[in-house]
Amino acid sequence: MVVISCALLIWKIVYKPMNKLPYFVRRLLFGTALVLGVTFISFLLMVHFGPDKTYELIGKNPTEQQIAEVRHALGYDRSFLLRYGSYLRELVTLDFGLSDSSGEKVSSMLARSLPISLLLVVPGFVLGNGLGLILGMLAVWYRGRWLDRLVTGASVAGMSVSFLIIIIGLQVLLCTPHGLNLFPVRGWQVDGLASYLFYVTVPTLALVLVTLGYNTRYYRAIIADESEREHIHALKAYGATPYELMLKHVLKNSLVPILTRLMFSVPLVLISGSLLLESYFGIPGIGQVTFDAITSGDQPVLKAVIGLTGVLFALALTVNDFLYKVVDPRVARS
Amino acid sequence: MPKTTQCVILLTLLLSVACSPGDPDEVTTSKVYRHAMDGAPASLDPAQAASLYSKFLVVNLYDTLYRYKYLARPYQLQPNLATAMPEISDDGLRLTIEIKKGVHFIDDPVFAGGLGRELKAMDFIYSIKRHFHPSSRAQGAWLWQDRILGLDLWKAEGSDYDQEVSGLRALDNYTIEITLTRPFPQLIHTLTQGFAAVVPREAVEKYGQQLSSHPVGSGPFRLISRNSTRAVLARNTNFRQEPFDLKDEGYDQKTQGEVGLEDLQNKVPPFVDRLEIEFVTEDAARWNAFSAGEIDFIKVPVSQFDNVLSQRNPPILSSQHEDIYQFEAASEAGFIYTNFNMADQRIGYHPDPERNRRNHALRCAMIKAFDWKKRNEIFFYDIGHVFPGVLPPSVPEFDPEADAGYIQRDLESARQLLRVNDWQADNLPVLEYGFPNSVTERQIFEQFRNFMMDMGYPADKIRPLVFATYGDYQRAYSQGKVALINSSWTMDYPDAENNMQLYYGPNAAPGSNSANYNNSEYNRLYEASTALNESTERTQIYRQMNQLLMNDCVSITGIARTLLFLWDKKVIMKPDRSFLGGYFLRFVDLEDSLQTHE
Amino acid sequence: MESVWQRLRSDGYGMLGFYIIAVFALAALLVWSGLLGQSWAVVSGGRWESISSTHWFGTNLLGQDILQRTLFSSATAFEVGLSVTILSTLLGTVLGALAGWFRSSWLDELILWVKGVLDSIPFYLFAAAIAFALQGNRWAMHLAMVITFWTTTARIIRGEVIRLKQREFVEAARAIGLPPRTIIFRHVLPNTSHIVLVQATIVFVAAIKTEVILSFLGLGIQNGVSWGLMLAESSQEVLAGHFGNFAAASIALFLLLVGFNLLADSLQDAMDKRRSVS
Repeated sequence: MVVISCALLIWKIVYKPMNKLPYFVRRLLFGTALVLGVTFISFLLMVHFGPDKTYELIGKNPTEQQIAEVRHALGYDRSFLLRYGSYLRELVTLDFGLSDSSGEKVSSMLARSLPISLLLVVPGFVLGNGLGLILGMLAVWYRGRWLDRLVTGASVAGMSVSFLIIIIGLQVLLCTPHGLNLFPVRGWQVDGLASYLFYVTVPTLALVLVTLGYNTRYYRAIIADESEREHIHALKAYGATPYELMLKHVLKNSLVPILTRLMFSVPLVLISGSLLLESYFGIPGIGQVTFDAITSGDQPVLKAVIGLTGVLFALALTVNDFLYKVVDPRVARS
Repeated sequence: MPKTTQCVILLTLLLSVACSPGDPDEVTTSKVYRHAMDGAPASLDPAQAASLYSKFLVVNLYDTLYRYKYLARPYQLQPNLATAMPEISDDGLRLTIEIKKGVHFIDDPVFAGGLGRELKAMDFIYSIKRHFHPSSRAQGAWLWQDRILGLDLWKAEGSDYDQEVSGLRALDNYTIEITLTRPFPQLIHTLTQGFAAVVPREAVEKYGQQLSSHPVGSGPFRLISRNSTRAVLARNTNFRQEPFDLKDEGYDQKTQGEVGLEDLQNKVPPFVDRLEIEFVTEDAARWNAFSAGEIDFIKVPVSQFDNVLSQRNPPILSSQHEDIYQFEAASEAGFIYTNFNMADQRIGYHPDPERNRRNHALRCAMIKAFDWKKRNEIFFYDIGHVFPGVLPPSVPEFDPEADAGYIQRDLESARQLLRVNDWQADNLPVLEYGFPNSVTERQIFEQFRNFMMDMGYPADKIRPLVFATYGDYQRAYSQGKVALINSSWTMDYPDAENNMQLYYGPNAAPGSNSANYNNSEYNRLYEASTALNESTERTQIYRQMNQLLMNDCVSITGIARTLLFLWDKKVIMKPDRSFLGGYFLRFVDLEDSLQTHE
Repeated sequence: MESVWQRLRSDGYGMLGFYIIAVFALAALLVWSGLLGQSWAVVSGGRWESISSTHWFGTNLLGQDILQRTLFSSATAFEVGLSVTILSTLLGTVLGALAGWFRSSWLDELILWVKGVLDSIPFYLFAAAIAFALQGNRWAMHLAMVITFWTTTARIIRGEVIRLKQREFVEAARAIGLPPRTIIFRHVLPNTSHIVLVQATIVFVAAIKTEVILSFLGLGIQNGVSWGLMLAESSQEVLAGHFGNFAAASIALFLLLVGFNLLADSLQDAMDKRRSVS
């Protein structure tokens, strides 16, 4: 409680002069505060209270001294602030040291696994959003008619299926003798386009199915909003073709909310989406690396993953603010 | 559209990064053996070869002084890097071991000119010393501490690698002398361990912690690539030329005649050019990959026993599999058991003699309520081997005459024990049952709770305590926070001493005696037996200790799993998983007609 | 509120959703009152028994009745859904209202900062972290969800309060010198109740879905059974051809979620119409 009230007091004192700074400087400061907050909270939870690897690294029948040695080697005996300080330094230098499990360089683990994850989620991400956008436009164009109802109904159904059910169901249907048995149950031995399609199809389908409902609904709402604008009605009255209308005017004007959604879903899809997909399909991407790090208490890897996604997200938030300001000057005035 | 083009370019770029070029050594017509394991090794550094999975790879990447014979069962020691079995002094305290000349480490930039240098006696000594260096993160010190003369002192004086240890000396480049503080019959077994594999000092000094993913050894294989789902190894072309000898490896034509091992006589191992080892934790995925022909070997998951076997006892392969697969059923060297935490006053020792007696009765009642038959049926397809105590059928000390009542469910006497000792639903203690998170562990817990419910134990008084990592679980029970500790013990070497130390008082938590059992009689017997080799005398003592454990109702124990191995007929081998299973890989061969692999 | 209910009644899909939820809620109530699903932990049959008159959905590996477990799980779903929804909605509404009312003040920026920080940590990692920090505490999952779910509600309420602050009745209240606390809680917030309701149903859906994933990852339900745990079990069984757990849990989960999504849609529509009228 004392800590909190002190923090509040400091916040108030610092806040006053900050208010007088120009808008973008303030945004920048806010972004920095965000990064500090993210790193602090994730560090506190994941590292300070986090998993303890000591007992996995000691041999059988250890002495107290051996336990202390392992804790020392892992750096657990250093003070909280010191460890947080070195965490910040690691984030800045992008040097996260070595994994506590495999002894590999964390940076090379990320460099190895990140491209795989990108390859894994990019097709699903593009398709999920592209199809969502197209369906959303179709629904708006045929608003109130059967196609709209179908799309809306299907998206409600899509939103009601758990990711887990989709993954398990697709695996049974497409990868086992109980179904079509066309694709591999697991793995990722990609060395060309054919093998890439072989391994990526089922995860992509899963990703599309789980996001399509939400995407369609979101894009439908945005496009519907935009189509209500007066100039669109006017254009329609002048006999603009649906294609022209949708692509040239409506879509162009909805670009900001669409970009926003895309930007914010990238880190989510990359970490949360690939976490499930990769641990289920045995794909050695960033999600699997993270999952292994959770279940083996590999703090250097966890620190890197949380820190980097947190920073990316904070960046996206800040960039998004700027974006809105550029598009909509009213934001800047207020 | 330019966007599409950009996307394509991006994707192509990503593809080219992710599918980084296959290794240059890949030869399209080489013999490739594809193995599957149910877990992944964390580290490939011998000093950290604690898990089954790490050991499996380490003994293939590095050399040990001794190994086990490929085919002889029960296990027999065989010189590996050593020229012969050690010369042992009369008092049993001094061992002299000669090692082979001309053995080289694999080529690596760490050596002068990039060429692997010769392996010397000093390298072995350095490798053992590593376990006693505080910052090496080594995990094998428990094998040798208090046992090798001067080693603990060496550590106490600051672990200076240049300082000699009196009990661990290189008499010359090829002769090692080990001096013990007290007789230690298991010493040679410890020298087969991955922990005792030989590492070159310069590699440790150069790669540090990264040695665990960059092995520099002298074993039959070397590492090509590894990630969290697979490892690829290639034949070490400089591995010492030692022709295979059936007789030497303990071949028995009667039981092993069908596999095609005779053809291997006088060939020089390793026989395959490339090992692809898949780490697949999910049983179903592993099985599917095996039936699709993506891997050559599998430890059959229990859920497939129905499908694979036409008969359980003894296990017989079903006809549809008989034609394509070779098959072997082996009893695991180890067992699964559930310890009571004796240091917990709710269930274990209690200063009040009356409560102490009632706790003992409660434990005995829980053991009687436990249904081994059901446990075996549901989780081990009825082909696991249930036995009383800690001497499983795989050790020669196993006693077929031992008290079978200990593993016999008897709900009536369990209830009566509770009644007589004044245990009712409202005064029974709340007990935490710990397990690391997994579906199967949870099911095992639910079954356990059901057994206890049958006896009248209230369901809400047996609570799950789930841990995200195995290490956190270990920490919790080592710190006494878990009342019921479900574990499995995989024997480190084929000597029952390895099991008996599990309940030796001084090994209490954080040691391997997680039950915190402390019986002076048991301790005395254990100490008296440490100097003894396997013998009738020692067997008597071990059986006596086993009975003590059962009398005190310390543990619900145990079952030794029966492992079913299935492998493609084109592969010529006798697989193994016990102890240091990986030793067999160098003897794996593929039928010539099928040696080409897409 | 009255008019929303009337509009809802005239919407067939909305009512369908409502009835589905009512049936599950009834099941949950019966479970809580000890009348249904009490023998979810009891072994009452053999391994993987198929559908029969004694086991309507068959049995699982241990021989537990899958129907019993499915029923008990609906109570788990409601326990998680209700507790997370109520707490995160309360938190989100209050903080959102404060941020909106004192817009651009230090308080607003502080709340936005906390929200930004929480939004920036990948959710499953955050839940894992909370689970670690609380070491097996049964409320760890609930807490993780409450801490992360309030932010969306707060954002929406903040926007709505900013809008309402400019309305005449609020100006009037300020003119006669009512303290901000009274205005916010007596006059402004009641006018956001429809938004809160819609948002609450959405949070409910998110909570149930998240429970499934977290339980699958082993970070969720500790003692008991849930659809997530059943699906986790099923993931080991389906490839061996046993579909009981999978079918039961996924159908139940799907139905309840459809119910909530239909209701949320319908409420949203009703609210939009009301808004456009007023």
